Amino acid sequence: MGIAATARRFIATNGLGMALFMVLGVSFWVLVLVVLPQVTMVDFSFRPKLPPADIGGPLDQYTTANYEYFYRGHPGNPEGWNRVDMTVFGRTLIAAVFVTVFNFIFCYPVAYYLAKVATGSWARLLALSLVVPYWINEILRAFAFRIIFGDAGLINTVLKTLGIIDVSIDFIRADVALYAGLGYAYILLMIFPLYSAIESLDKNQIEAARDMGSPWWRIHWRIVMPFAKQGIVSGCTMVFMLSAGALAAPQILGGPSSLWFTQIIYQGFFEYFNWNRGAAYAIILLVSCMAIVLGLTKLVGGKAGEIGR
Amino acid sequence: MRPSILARGATGLYLLAFFGFLFGPLFIMVVTALNSSSFPRVSPWDCLTFEWFVKLAGDERLHSGLLNSLIIGIVVVVLSVSLGLAGALFLARLGPTSRAVVYTVITAPILIPGVVLGISTLIFWDRAAQLFGYGTGSMFYNGIFLTVLGQASFISSYCMLVLIARLQRFDTGQIEAALDLGATNVQAFRRILLPFLKPAMISAAIIAFLASFENYNTTVFTISHLHTFTTIISQKVRLGIDPSISAVAFIIIVLTLIGALLYEAMHKRAELKKDRRLPEGDVLRGLFRRNPAMIMGVMVVVATAVGIWLAMGHSAEQCKADLLQQKLERQRQLEERYRQSLPAAGAGEEGGDPASQGLGAGAFGNVFDPKNLEGQAGVGGQEEGEQRTPAEKPGQSTFGNVFDPKNLEGQAGVGQEEEKPAGEEGQQ
Repeated sequence: MGIAATARRFIATNGLGMALFMVLGVSFWVLVLVVLPQVTMVDFSFRPKLPPADIGGPLDQYTTANYEYFYRGHPGNPEGWNRVDMTVFGRTLIAAVFVTVFNFIFCYPVAYYLAKVATGSWARLLALSLVVPYWINEILRAFAFRIIFGDAGLINTVLKTLGIIDVSIDFIRADVALYAGLGYAYILLMIFPLYSAIESLDKNQIEAARDMGSPWWRIHWRIVMPFAKQGIVSGCTMVFMLSAGALAAPQILGGPSSLWFTQIIYQGFFEYFNWNRGAAYAIILLVSCMAIVLGLTKLVGGKAGEIGR
Repeated sequence: MRPSILARGATGLYLLAFFGFLFGPLFIMVVTALNSSSFPRVSPWDCLTFEWFVKLAGDERLHSGLLNSLIIGIVVVVLSVSLGLAGALFLARLGPTSRAVVYTVITAPILIPGVVLGISTLIFWDRAAQLFGYGTGSMFYNGIFLTVLGQASFISSYCMLVLIARLQRFDTGQIEAALDLGATNVQAFRRILLPFLKPAMISAAIIAFLASFENYNTTVFTISHLHTFTTIISQKVRLGIDPSISAVAFIIIVLTLIGALLYEAMHKRAELKKDRRLPEGDVLRGLFRRNPAMIMGVMVVVATAVGIWLAMGHSAEQCKADLLQQKLERQRQLEERYRQSLPAAGAGEEGGDPASQGLGAGAFGNVFDPKNLEGQAGVGGQEEGEQRTPAEKPGQSTFGNVFDPKNLEGQAGVGQEEEKPAGEEGQQ
């Protein structure tokens, strides 16, 4: 069956108007909004930074200089490697993994409670109270943590009043505020997939295990978690990607001496005006995050690309 | 088997801690909006004030940012819901293999970091403009245009997921029946599928608007020299924090709370209606019966209205004047002590006018300026101060100046422990 025949059949079953709406809508979305911009960005990242007049000229050759800069730094760099960018990059990814793991441990009991213990309007009320903080602006949520963890913030004031400390603890510099803020920001995105996965588990399985004398932790480890694996993978994937790609929270809560990799990208764009290198860095971030997610998903035997189902 | 008391207690404690962590920061932020201290804090508490809301009302940049955000939000809603609908319908008509591929492509933007989406949109339209020979003044460089497209690329995915969830429960037999009876495809779509999808489309529209309104990562790259509400708030927070941002949060949190409760109430009401458990006739009772969310929602609305009404008549000036008086008093004591520690030097001037002392004149000069106090006619007299409306306050401008953190920076002795952190934070 040829393409023309498929198209004719598609139009016949849906009507011309509907067929056009669907096909044009999806192609505009997929091509103009997603695929072409990404492809252009990849192309752009392999080109040198040039003034507009030289673009398309003899100097406009493909080069890997933008990527080399990431690990080598300036050509004359005596250290031999780009210490700042590479360290920030590594720290961002490791910190994002920790935020994800912590978030999972923190959210799992609540998701289980919502899915299997709470009932009726109580469960709905709890679910609603999970959603409300999520709709408060990301910037404002970070700001709240700044108030709490700041030099003259709530925690320091309380500790001082109680006489536990004399000098303010610098939570911002220690990145405590940042990790707390990041964990806070994505609670809902962790709980929701966990909840929908656990909810479909047959309660009898838990009862059976309990009747046979299995302790509560083994019930979770051997029955609930393996069953909810796909939900765990989805939730962790989302939290990891979003924390690694976060920009607002690190800008507001990050210490003066520690950067997040997205901030380096941002600087490349708006302080050095080197869009090409910025694009290369953005791709480095995207590709490494995807590699980590796919690798870990494979490791636990889940399926990637099933997010949101 | 019922869980033991211990297990239930532990569960309760954990839930309490969890929701405490969830709402604590928001609650603290809201409270700081009402403290007159120029650094947002809960303790030490200075004065109950509504001045930060007044400051907000006069912020022109924030207003223009808000307008941009609204425009972008509305266009994004229309675009994303349409694209999401097209995607959901299209996916439903594909075979399993192609379906998986298309599904992965159009849900991928949810996982792509917002920064990457923003950069790719910016670069793509920059290249497109150069390819077609458009200048920097053209639409391709317009911040609103770029932001709408950048945001729609992933918000459409949200909308599609919401619509797919609803579409899965649709009985396609209905469409077939309509077509058999002679309806055209468009008619069947408009009369049957669209009404069925309407609740999901409303949810998708709300989600799209909120996601657009609060988006930062993508917007900050695509908005170019313009501003949205979120980018302005972010700039404010980074340049130096003050409680007017808490006031923004206050307003947004109250609106979100009311919205969420009303949404829940409507949901409950529709459910009750479906089960025919609503009493006929009596509208008012029917509205609140078995509907705690509705009751809570109305309570929040009423509390807000009363709060605003009370705020109109409230003035923090009296309290601030008292606070200033306390500080001056402490300053005098410190000065006294200092003078006593000096051998004989200030002995002859004991009890004289502090302003003529010369001691610390540079730093204290402003505070001690007699003109500064002229407006404070009512400082000791409470009845007089309380009856005044804020607009008539003569002391307002002078006090505003006194409470400026910079003003206090030079004051070695006065209120050091309290005000120094504020000064430091302000400089960051």
